[in-house]
Amino acid sequence: MQGAKVEIMENKNTTAKRIQARNAATRMLNRLTAGLAFGAVAGVGILGAVSAYTIPGTAATTSGATASTSTSTSTSTGLQSSSSSVGSSSSSGVAVSGGS
Amino acid sequence: MPDTVLWYTTRGAGAVSLALLSAVVVLGVMSSLRFEVPSWPRFLTTGLHRNLSLTAVVFLALHIVTAVVDPFTHLGWLAAVVPFSSYYRTFWLGLGVIAFELLIAITVTSLVRGLIGLSAWRAIHWLSYASWPIAVLHGFGTGTDTLSTWMLAIDGVCIAAVAGSVAARLMFRSPDPLAADRARFRERVSRKVVK
Repeated sequence: MQGAKVEIMENKNTTAKRIQARNAATRMLNRLTAGLAFGAVAGVGILGAVSAYTIPGTAATTSGATASTSTSTSTSTGLQSSSSSVGSSSSSGVAVSGGS
Repeated sequence: MPDTVLWYTTRGAGAVSLALLSAVVVLGVMSSLRFEVPSWPRFLTTGLHRNLSLTAVVFLALHIVTAVVDPFTHLGWLAAVVPFSSYYRTFWLGLGVIAFELLIAITVTSLVRGLIGLSAWRAIHWLSYASWPIAVLHGFGTGTDTLSTWMLAIDGVCIAAVAGSVAARLMFRSPDPLAADRARFRERVSRKVVK
């Protein structure tokens, strides 16, 4: 009879421990979910800021136009310098033909 | 609101959605492997898997809405719903739409699992193994920051985590805790049939 009582007490203790463990795990689940949700919101802000820093762009339609303008300017500068060098080489060519 | 803020939010929400989706896939695989340790019971994995998948849907919605309302792209709502209907990067945006719609199907069927039955739910849930790589391809194809170091790091961590968990899933079969009980039950049933 005593043995049966001890067994019942052990079962109660085990059940209480299980309930405590489950409550603790449920609290952990709630904390983890809330933490990850807040982390995700912060992540959008942080990664948005990082993306703005790395590839900022400008106002909606001007970003592409600005980039293409600067590209075309540098191209035309290159063409100008190359045309002047062509001019100087043609004058030297005249000198060579006169020698032959 | 300046257009650039919408653009930055789209990019930030896209990266966060990828990280959340990867975490959801890893937790799903851990759940199927019946992973548990004393400090991490099994229902914590399934509960976190469910909560994070709903959170991922919210952030994907943010990613899509900010992309659609951004006047620079003027994608329109049709492009966000019908795959490959966008004039802008048709193929890559279409992959994103497919990944999102698969995720919606997986989420909705999980919410009504009691109505559709376990086998139908499981069959649809296998689509998550298609949804995640399609989402990754969408990011590689159309992401502004794809070649940025920070985005490559996020992609690398996500791909390594999912690949590792799937490899573990393939290598270690999930133990069936009721295997012995099932065997005993089948044995009793067969005996009764013989009598």
